[in-house]
Amino acid sequence: MGWRNTPDGFGLVSRALHWSMALLVIVMLALGLRIAGMQPGLSDLWLYGLHKGLGIILLVLVLLRLLWHRLSPPPAPLGPPGAWPQRLARWGHAALYGLLVVIPLSGWAASSASGLDVMLFDRWTIPPIAPVSEAWENAAWAVHGAATKLLMGLVLVHVAGALKREMDGDGTLTRMLRGRG
Amino acid sequence: MILLRAALACLLVAALPAWAGPARYALDEQASTVGFETDFGPDRITGRMPVTRADLTLDFDRVANSQVDVTLDVTRAVASFPFAAQALKGPKVLDAATFPEITFASTSVRARGAGAEVKGNVTIRGVTRPVTLDAVIWRKQGSAEGDLSHLTIRLTGTVNRSEFGATGWNDLVSDTVRLDILARVARQD
Repeated sequence: MGWRNTPDGFGLVSRALHWSMALLVIVMLALGLRIAGMQPGLSDLWLYGLHKGLGIILLVLVLLRLLWHRLSPPPAPLGPPGAWPQRLARWGHAALYGLLVVIPLSGWAASSASGLDVMLFDRWTIPPIAPVSEAWENAAWAVHGAATKLLMGLVLVHVAGALKREMDGDGTLTRMLRGRG
Repeated sequence: MILLRAALACLLVAALPAWAGPARYALDEQASTVGFETDFGPDRITGRMPVTRADLTLDFDRVANSQVDVTLDVTRAVASFPFAAQALKGPKVLDAATFPEITFASTSVRARGAGAEVKGNVTIRGVTRPVTLDAVIWRKQGSAEGDLSHLTIRLTGTVNRSEFGATGWNDLVSDTVRLDILARVARQD
């Protein structure tokens, strides 16, 4: 199996992007929930820098992934293209990509609008992408929160769908693990 | 700690013969600090703000004749970690871009114990509210009794930032801000 995708298999690049992002998304959901629920002190300020750092990495990875899909299109969902599970899979994947772009951007915008430096890993400051304004901050946080909840739901559907198809024996999960069904 | 050493080394002015008449004092800005402190979860945020201008008239004969006017430079405030200083100066707390100054003008000064109770109006974010500060005064270490030419004044008090509309991060950072002002002053004439 090569680096590139083929009409019926995932290449190494797409699989590496898929699984590294899957891991990061799960870590980020846990970290985000922890940050949203905690009463912070000085000792856990670093968690914000970690969340922002990993968030920007995810943003870069999803943009690379979308770019890679232009250069090396991924295979279509297995099964008859017009059937509802395949249509649902396409829509679900499009929504996942959309959310993976919107969530880090809205977090970045909300942090920018707070007036504080957006610092990654307590080390690198990135430029603001929104004006310092409470209205912007509230709106961006609302988007960040709602989009994240939507992502949690979609991730569950995505995992459930992959497991169901694997149990049905169509090889969808195997294809993402080994490249071919 | 400088404050503690000053307190231990200096003699209380109240124990000295009174100085006659009101006298103007100049603030030694380098040796003075306007400190503040608030709670951040289990921790504290501390910081300082430089004094732009201080107009001091002290009368140890008739304490009520004393008058204090102070202006602070919000734009040059520092805090114990970088985010705190940014948050402090940002639009959600002191909004230094719109309100670069904090001012205090005393309305009454009266002797109390070894020091004084200073009442006045403080203006933060353009909102003026009354505040009461407790003052303790020492004369300079090693100076002769009755020599009131160089004094150290420590003023303490609290303000609730919500009363001034400085409500940013009120879910994370306490509303009450403790003030600890150390002023070193020299008589003008």
